[in-house]
Amino acid sequence: MLKILIPTFMLIPTTWLTPAKWLWPTTLAQSFIIALASLTWLKNLSETGWSCLSTYLATDALSTPLLVLTCWLLPLMILASQKHTALEPVNRQRMYITLLTSLQFFLILAFGATELIMFYVMFEATLIPTLIIITRWGNQTERLNAGTYFLFYTLAGSLPLLVALLLLQNNTGTLSLLTLQYSNPLPLVSYADKLWWAGCLLAFLVKMPLYGVHLWLPKAHVEAPIAGSMVLAAVLLKLGGYGMMRMMIMLEPLTEKLSYPFIIFALWGVIMTGSICLRQTDLKSLIAYSSVSHMGLVAGGILIQTPWGFTGALILMIAHGLTSSALFCLANTNYERTHSRTMILARGLQMVLPLMATWWFIASLANLALPPLPNLMGELMIITSLFSWSWWTLALTGAGTLITAAYSLYMFLMTQRGPLPPHLIALEPTHSREHLLILLHLLPLMLLTLKPELIWGWTA
Amino acid sequence: MNPYIMALLLFGLGLGTTITFASSHWLLAWMGLEINTLAIIPLMAQHHHPRAVEATTKYFLTQATAAAMLLFASTTNAWLTGEWDIQQMSHPLPTTMITLALALKIGLAPMHSWMPEVLQGLDLTTGLILSTWQKLAPFALFLQIHPNNSTILITLGLASTLVGGWGGLNQTQLRKILAYSSIAHLGWMTLVLQFAPSLTLLTLLTYFVMTFSAFLVFKLNKATTVNSLAISWAKTPILTSLAPLILLSLGGLPPLTGFLPKWLILQELTKQGLPLLATFAALTALLSLYFYLRLSYAMTLTMFPNNLAGSAPWRFHSPQLTLPLAVSTATAILTLPLAPAAMALFAP
Repeated sequence: MLKILIPTFMLIPTTWLTPAKWLWPTTLAQSFIIALASLTWLKNLSETGWSCLSTYLATDALSTPLLVLTCWLLPLMILASQKHTALEPVNRQRMYITLLTSLQFFLILAFGATELIMFYVMFEATLIPTLIIITRWGNQTERLNAGTYFLFYTLAGSLPLLVALLLLQNNTGTLSLLTLQYSNPLPLVSYADKLWWAGCLLAFLVKMPLYGVHLWLPKAHVEAPIAGSMVLAAVLLKLGGYGMMRMMIMLEPLTEKLSYPFIIFALWGVIMTGSICLRQTDLKSLIAYSSVSHMGLVAGGILIQTPWGFTGALILMIAHGLTSSALFCLANTNYERTHSRTMILARGLQMVLPLMATWWFIASLANLALPPLPNLMGELMIITSLFSWSWWTLALTGAGTLITAAYSLYMFLMTQRGPLPPHLIALEPTHSREHLLILLHLLPLMLLTLKPELIWGWTA
Repeated sequence: MNPYIMALLLFGLGLGTTITFASSHWLLAWMGLEINTLAIIPLMAQHHHPRAVEATTKYFLTQATAAAMLLFASTTNAWLTGEWDIQQMSHPLPTTMITLALALKIGLAPMHSWMPEVLQGLDLTTGLILSTWQKLAPFALFLQIHPNNSTILITLGLASTLVGGWGGLNQTQLRKILAYSSIAHLGWMTLVLQFAPSLTLLTLLTYFVMTFSAFLVFKLNKATTVNSLAISWAKTPILTSLAPLILLSLGGLPPLTGFLPKWLILQELTKQGLPLLATFAALTALLSLYFYLRLSYAMTLTMFPNNLAGSAPWRFHSPQLTLPLAVSTATAILTLPLAPAAMALFAP
């Protein structure tokens, strides 16, 4: 782990000591090297499932894909932020890269932690850099409101989690993920135990976010600068899914009954947020609600507690991470040219940015889960495991898939096709930087269809 | 103020607290508290401003009431049990009275309302003394009497965390916000007092470090309102970028130092079988976090190149020594990784 953590930490001195002219290329190169080095985690040969063990950190089949995704995302964020920070003083740019780096540092520690308390501390530690990214570098004044929502939704969910974890430690004497699954099963019978169950999952359900406690997410996405949106959609939401999968082993006998309302909420949320997307006028808000919809499916897959459900959830998390991040980047290329997120003001862009239209096409298809892409594999596995639990879920998941296809098509048609409005004729052409950025999102996604066992998690 | 008199007063301030620390006899402890109060009174009123004099009067009246109550309780104790020793409190009546007297002295809710009023009337240096050094002597007594009535302590503690958060919500005056922050922190200390007194001490120490940094940041910027804080980026840019971390550390966000005492206190409360109390106390901390967050917004997160919240004032180079600020800021932000050491030292 330290092979990745120390270079990540040393990105901060790199950021502050490089001459201003070389700031972005150098940090980009270093973070790319880190991302490439992190690929070695994918080769997991150990028999226990845990590898790269140190005192507090380890990787296993569940955390590795998320760790690699985290490391992969930092160079992409650096690549995406160059344009909109270019006008700021150089120290502000350095501060921005430092925040992104610290976020990656905390995320690696969160996904790699073997102690649940360490995971909790790092889970919370990601709040401060994200909050500063949203509220300092966002564009509108509403960003302050969005930051408050973001912080307080997450904290109100996660403070009960802290108490629940401390209670668990009192009962089992350990919070180590390595030994927790072998400890004696807890006698969970009383009413208080049910509250404890809720406390254990609430934080993650808020972070996912589950429909009903999702209001912070569209606000945060809409107001955040591009790097903030990318990391929020690609990695931070996945902290919720990852934490739920980790906690599930401890909650064994209770989840079977208590998870019903949450599964219903999650599946209902898939339909509701999908329908909200259908009438969205704001491009970033549409992508944000589409994230809520996909994560609802992930929550359902995890709560159903079958191996297929878990595998499907992990696959969908990785695939959605890359897809939604790519969509946010595409939305940002529009935003940097038209300075508006309103879809009706940026129509017919295929005429002026033809290659971008290709990327929009592929990303929209990935978002609606086109066949061989991992998005489809994840959705199918979750839908199958839900279907084998109850036939009625097919009505919700099927309608959800249909609505996803509908709003992806709506988004594509609205932004790319149709006549070009006269105010858009003199748009700046696309840069190879932007094409590279989108390609680096979509290429891993397509390559994963060739070797999906990398993100199958425990099943592989 | 004449430096000789100033030195005498500061010496008295130290002497009073030390006498209380060292005493095992209630009369001597009371005497130490009184010396302490009498020494700070001229310091508070040194600017001869009507607001300062008003604050001094209010402080004198509350402290005198608390001290009289303490004296009354200890004589009652002597009368009931024939014992003047601080450590030998056995009768519940005087113990409860002393608990309440000390609560009034440090400003725990519902005996807190003097605290924001007094702090608002003082300059930042005296305010710093009031919210740090002046808490030491009462807490030394608090730690020694082993109060056995858990309901009173839990009520005082929970009410303080709640009131401390609630009261600060609509304040625009920094000193009042700091006063409410002090009330909330003292509430946390009181919550854990009967279970793990050493954790109370740890919380007190971390609170001192964090509030010391906060006061010094405000003093360096000569800021007493949220508005004047909003233009501090022009005076001290690096400090402006660090100040939100100090404030969020006061709010108790991980991975900053302020999370450490809250974490250990919650752990102790769950260990004692009080998970609901722990959850509730943790959620009241969100109220306090809201105003720290608002200060961070005003100070740093909305600074240039956005629209300014105030106009830059004429300023002189501050002669204030910044080394203590640097040290305390580093401590207030970065010491959470020392959690294992703190647990070994302080957690029972």
